[in-house]
Amino acid sequence: MAVSADQAPDRAPARLRPRPWSRSDPVAVLNAARHIADELKDGLTGAGVRAAARGVRRLLEADRVGLADLSGRPMWAPSPPDDEHAANELVEEVLHTETKSGRPPLVALPLHVHHELAGVLVVAGSVRRSAVREAADWVVEALERGRLEASAEQAAQAELRALRAEISPHFVYNALTVIAALVSSEPDRSRELMIDFADYIRYSLARHGEYTTVADEFHAIETYLALQRAVLGERLSVQVRVAPEVLAVALPYLVLQPLVENAIRHGIEPRAGTGHVMVRGEAEGNDCLISVEDDGLGMDPGLAEEILAGRGGTDSVGLANVDRRLRSVYGAWFGLVVETAPGEGTRVVVRIPRFQPGVMP
Amino acid sequence: MTAELAVLAVDDVPPALDELCRLLRESPNVSEVFAAGDPLSALRMIQNGRFDAVFLDISMPGLDGLELASLLKKLSDPPAIVFVTAYEQHAVAAFGIGAVDYLLKPIRAERLADALARIDRVVPAPHASPEQLPDAMAALPVETAGRTRYVRRGEVSFVEAHGDYVRLHATSGVHVVRMPISRLEEYWGPAGFVRVHRGFLVALDAVRELRSDSVGGLLAHTDLGDVPVSRRHARDLRERLLAAARTGRLDRSERRV
Repeated sequence: MAVSADQAPDRAPARLRPRPWSRSDPVAVLNAARHIADELKDGLTGAGVRAAARGVRRLLEADRVGLADLSGRPMWAPSPPDDEHAANELVEEVLHTETKSGRPPLVALPLHVHHELAGVLVVAGSVRRSAVREAADWVVEALERGRLEASAEQAAQAELRALRAEISPHFVYNALTVIAALVSSEPDRSRELMIDFADYIRYSLARHGEYTTVADEFHAIETYLALQRAVLGERLSVQVRVAPEVLAVALPYLVLQPLVENAIRHGIEPRAGTGHVMVRGEAEGNDCLISVEDDGLGMDPGLAEEILAGRGGTDSVGLANVDRRLRSVYGAWFGLVVETAPGEGTRVVVRIPRFQPGVMP
Repeated sequence: MTAELAVLAVDDVPPALDELCRLLRESPNVSEVFAAGDPLSALRMIQNGRFDAVFLDISMPGLDGLELASLLKKLSDPPAIVFVTAYEQHAVAAFGIGAVDYLLKPIRAERLADALARIDRVVPAPHASPEQLPDAMAALPVETAGRTRYVRRGEVSFVEAHGDYVRLHATSGVHVVRMPISRLEEYWGPAGFVRVHRGFLVALDAVRELRSDSVGGLLAHTDLGDVPVSRRHARDLRERLLAAARTGRLDRSERRV
């Protein structure tokens, strides 16, 4: 028993060895308030509710304090009152009427988070009404902040997911047009392309996990290029080279495809004649280097910088998205590198660590 | 190798079922193809007949493919099960039930051929298993100008078929040995040689790069030259290389005998 108490010194210090406690010490009060807010980060159904109730009790110097979520079963500190039944009924009543109820020594207040009932605070003992009201307001504020933080996190995740969904309508319609055109003249080829198209869509919509392998990324590129060849015919000449030792390297989904798409779109589509695209994956020390190179129009390096910064217009968000995703996963040093000049073609390089903690397919 | 398989295809979407049956009928080692449009008639047919393999759709009304497969596993002599589905997320559950393979819709003919080859391996058929052969082939004798010397397996990057002969492309040069490539594949397969083409075997750890070009052809590049990879074998080679990369078995020096 002693061991577990040692391991979790913050869990129940109040009960084990009551510290000298002064409500007039602002440091102690602020500290207690901050602890309550921390424990309520996951809401009234979270794991910290009992600890928060303990904090409120200490702050109010109440006999006992209970915090209930909408289920109406309070978490008590330090223990449920003798007449638990009466306390529960009081909580039920407050949940029902959404107004405070009871009289000292037992009062219950509704907790409205963002104007919506979220739970009940119950206080037993001789505590001033104004103090109880303040405590309830503090709890509500902590809950509101916790909810905002959680939604901010969800928004950040949703943004990364949105950056990933990279199906280009331009490409989809081109591919479908070609397949439709081949259905009667070359049924076998159109069937083959339809299956490639299904693979392309399946990979683009893959929702299991954040990461894939270099092997799968290159395979997806080959499927994509098979379709692009059907669309562009002789105008597209591609070489793909990958070294076996990087096949198992993990990386975020769909890093490569937007780069290849960009090379074709800006390097090959706008001009007459054949364009060449080279995609390579190789090991360099502890890094995996993937490069996509075209011999197309190239651009002013300043423009490339603008594009990477996301100021290149809707036509080139692909590169900026990949750059942002790589940085958010591997850190600020692992963004895209673009080597280009007008008339000189473009080379985009991805450098990722071959082993990165937490990045697994 | 070519067991004549009797197979049953189960799918509740008629065009998908027709397509699956068509592909199965066109497969060389399938002798009989039966079709069931729902899981219950499939169960009835399995009770009344003898099937080597069942190709099962997963999402079907009433009894889904996974449930049907668990029922089939309780039979005394269950058929091999291959799932055919549009979604990848069932794969783990499918292999948990003991499925032989897992095909994604729409089905590629090459993938179906792979699946049938796997079934062929699990359906008992009388042919010698290469595991029983002793590893007496770590070095092969070659005749050069009347003298016999040995070429070690570890120095061979790839093997090219030449009728009843094979050409061993080794660091010491190209050597000709009288042996069909399929025989050598049986001997050297367990040591990391993979069939990548009708006429080629390649040592996994000799592959420096996979190269593909505009025409869609795949090459395995080695220090001693490029080896063509046929479409049929591309997936297998990729998976073997990936598995080797994961376990750090790409280091050439470790394989030397």
